[in-house]
Formats: sequence, C-alpha cells, structure tokens
Amino acid sequence: MVLGAVFLWPLAVSVLASLTRDGALTLAHYETVWRLYRGDVLYTIGVAAAGTVLTFAAAIPACGWLRLRAFGPVEFLLKVPLFVPFVVVGHALRVALSPHAPGLAGSWAGIALALAWKHLGLAALLLLGAFRGVDESYLEAARDVGATGGRLVRDILVPMSGPALAVSGILIFSSMLASFSIPLMMSRGGGPQMLMIDVYYRYGQHGDFATASALGVVAYLLAMGAALVYARRLTA
Amino acid sequence: MSARALVARAAGFAVAAFLIVGPLTSLAVWSLAERWTFPSAWPQRFGLRYWHRVATGDFLEPLRLGVLIAVIVTLVALAMAIPLGYALARLAFPGRAVVLLLFLLPQAFPQLPVFASATREFYRFGLAGTIPGVVLVHLVGGLVFAVWTMTAVFRSIAPELEEAAWNLGASTTRAFVGVALPLAVPGIVASAVLVFLYSLDEFTGTLLVGAPFVTTLPVYMYTASLGYELQIASVTALVLMAPGVVLLLVLERFLKSDYLVFFGQL
Repeated sequence: MVLGAVFLWPLAVSVLASLTRDGALTLAHYETVWRLYRGDVLYTIGVAAAGTVLTFAAAIPACGWLRLRAFGPVEFLLKVPLFVPFVVVGHALRVALSPHAPGLAGSWAGIALALAWKHLGLAALLLLGAFRGVDESYLEAARDVGATGGRLVRDILVPMSGPALAVSGILIFSSMLASFSIPLMMSRGGGPQMLMIDVYYRYGQHGDFATASALGVVAYLLAMGAALVYARRLTA
Repeated sequence: MSARALVARAAGFAVAAFLIVGPLTSLAVWSLAERWTFPSAWPQRFGLRYWHRVATGDFLEPLRLGVLIAVIVTLVALAMAIPLGYALARLAFPGRAVVLLLFLLPQAFPQLPVFASATREFYRFGLAGTIPGVVLVHLVGGLVFAVWTMTAVFRSIAPELEEAAWNLGASTTRAFVGVALPLAVPGIVASAVLVFLYSLDEFTGTLLVGAPFVTTLPVYMYTASLGYELQIASVTALVLMAPGVVLLLVLERFLKSDYLVFFGQL
C-alpha cells in the first residue's frame, strides 16, 4: 500500500508526464533532453564508469589479499564506507580535497573518486563473499605449481568469481548513475552535471516537471541492468 | 607468522587506513578549524568554537526531529514487515512473486525522479513539507529494507520448530507468537537498528518532500555547506556518521552480509 502510493504511483505519473503535453502524447520533452542534456547523459555514464573501474581497482586486490590471508582490522576498515551516508561522503571528500587539490573536488575525477570511496564497502562485501565461495582446493592446486599472491588472485579468484563480479559491477554502476547527494555536495556551478542534479534543478528551479521526468526515464532505462539483476535474483 | 608476512599486514593496514580513514579525518580537522584560508595546507587556528554550536537550538532541533521521524519510521516499518516477512518466508500464497518484485523496485530504480514526482502528488494532499510526508517517503526505503531482512530472518529459523508446536495443538498464530517470534528477536533488533539509521541518514527524499519546513540533520548539513559554513557541516557530518561506525564496531558479528548489501544503497 505504502509502496504503491509513495513509489509506484509517482513512478507512473512521472513516466506519463514525460510523454504528454496538455493531454496529448508527444516526444517533445525527450527532444528537450536530447537538445540540452545529451552531453550530461554521456558525462554521467563516463563518471559512473570511471567510478566503477576505480572501485574494482581498489577492491579486487584488497579482497583477494583478504581471501588469501584473513585479517580482521583491514576487513573492518573496508566495510566502514557502508555506514557512512552518501551526503557525508560527498562533504568529506570535498573538504578533504579542496585545501590540497582545489580543482579536483568538483571535477569528474573528484566525483568519481568520492563515488568509488562510498562503494568500496559494498564491493568489498560482495567480492569477499564471492572469493570466499571459491574452493580452497583450487588455490592449493595453483600453489602446488608455484603460484603466489597476485597470480592466485588474477588467475584463480577473479575468473572463478566472474558472474559475481559482473553482478557487482552492474549494481555499483547503476547506483553511481543514480547518485544525487555526492555530486550535489561536491560540484559547484558550471560545466557538465550528473543526471540527477539536472533532474533536481529542472524540477526544483525551473518547475519543469515534464522534462525532469523525461530525464528520469532516461535514468530508469540506464539502470535497467540493475533491475534485471534483482529480478533474476528473485527467480533464482 | 614470518617477519615478511607481518610487514605485509602492517603495510596493508596502513594503506587501507589512509584511504578509508583519511577523508574522515579531514572532517575532524575541518570541524576544529577556526581559521583556514587558502592556500594554507593546514588550519591557522584550531578551536572548539564550532562544536559549541552543537549545543544550540539550530543544531538540536533538526537532531530531535530526525530522531522522532526515525522512531516512527522504524515502528511502522517493523509492524508491517514482521508479519509480511513471515508470510514471504513461510507461506506460498498467490501473488508472492509480485510482492517480492514490488519490494525490489525501489532498490533498482533511481529514487530522485520518483521522489520529485511524489512531492508533487503530496502537494495535492497537503503532505509536502510536513512530518507525515517525510515519514511516508522514508517508509519506502525503510520497508524495503525491513521486509528483506525479516524474510531472511524467518527463513533462517527451522520450520520444524513450529511444526512441533502445531503437533502439540498450538494454532498457527500461537506457534508464530510463541515459537518463531522469540527466536527472531535478535534479527528484529538488527533490522530495527538498521531501519532507524537509514531514516536518520536519509537525505534525498527529505530534501524534496520536507522542504522547506522539515529539516533533519542531513538537510541541515547540506544547507550549511551551501552557505560555505564548512565547519558546521563537518561537525554535523561527524555526528551523523558516528552511530553507523559504532554499530559496525559493536555488531559486526551479528550483521549478516545479506542485510548489509541493502544498506549499501543508502
């Protein structure tokens, strides 16, 4: 009931609003999106992709190491970002970067860095679960023929966790696409913007609900991968 | 353990500590910086001036309001999620898959455009800018979270225990209240704590639906940072972050990773 009223109904209203003007079906709002925001759509995909790559670049070696040699304190540190809210992460990275690298905080790299920091916790959780699901006997067999640390991670743990890595990647990428608080806290003024920031200003400052909804629908479509992953988990 | 392995561990810990704790430390530095002008790499004067502001009304009011909302959200979410989670875990009823799917959607789709649309609908019913409106919007995330954790909790309790109670003549309700519910208490507590934290930290929905009258701490922090009151925002950020980190520290063993995966979406 609550979900229907507060989630499904508004979702339907926004999809409908994006497709109509004065009661008639139209694609005009999508033309506005294409005209004004196509650059921002690409920018958002780029930032989310960079953030996802950065997350995995840190999480794969860290979790691989932890799989081979369990070490509580580091595992604890990796999970900390799970419990730090998005808004706090955005602000923390902004104040951490701005005194030392003033240009970085609001740039695409700064946003990608903050997103990667926040998603490290989730990635660690998913990857450790996947790596720990790899049977010890495979690792022993590889050790017997002389493989150590990095080789074990690269040639055994990562390939054997392929599906889990793909799922984690889709979930993290979609979450980054839809992120609002981190770019809001970090970016100031001009230049390309993340999609959710565009939705917020289009709706809040221009009062243009129809175009904001069309932007939203673009975001829903981009996040379809995550929806499919969840749906598959449901049927499994 | 060999010396080399020990060094590797120390190095690994140092790198992780720098990357994870580093940005958080800068919150602490900023919260103590009474004077810090560019391009100095370090504050020129330290002090507790901004922490004193925490004791004043304009900080305590959003805190009080946020806690009130979080308590209501937690109670309502659990009251709905305990029976629903039990039903999803134990019973095969028509439409079960639809219900499960319904509880996945808010997780999978970008929330901001939906909340913007919800705010517009709320205006028609006079809910925008009110506490009930914010509670409703928090219930979306809170319910999803509570239902999934409660389903996992009841799945982990062996059905044979209730079957034994039925054999001894207990009704379904009695078996639920007398057997399954007490066993589920640790899971219920964990779920309640996480829903409470979710609501306390929720920003996007509160900003949209609550504006301009309902200000919780995350919104207060955003407003402060917008006005370049970075110290006030940093103090608020530390206060917001503390319960989560304490929880992780105390409860790590009890928090199953299923619960945490959903929490990562905060």
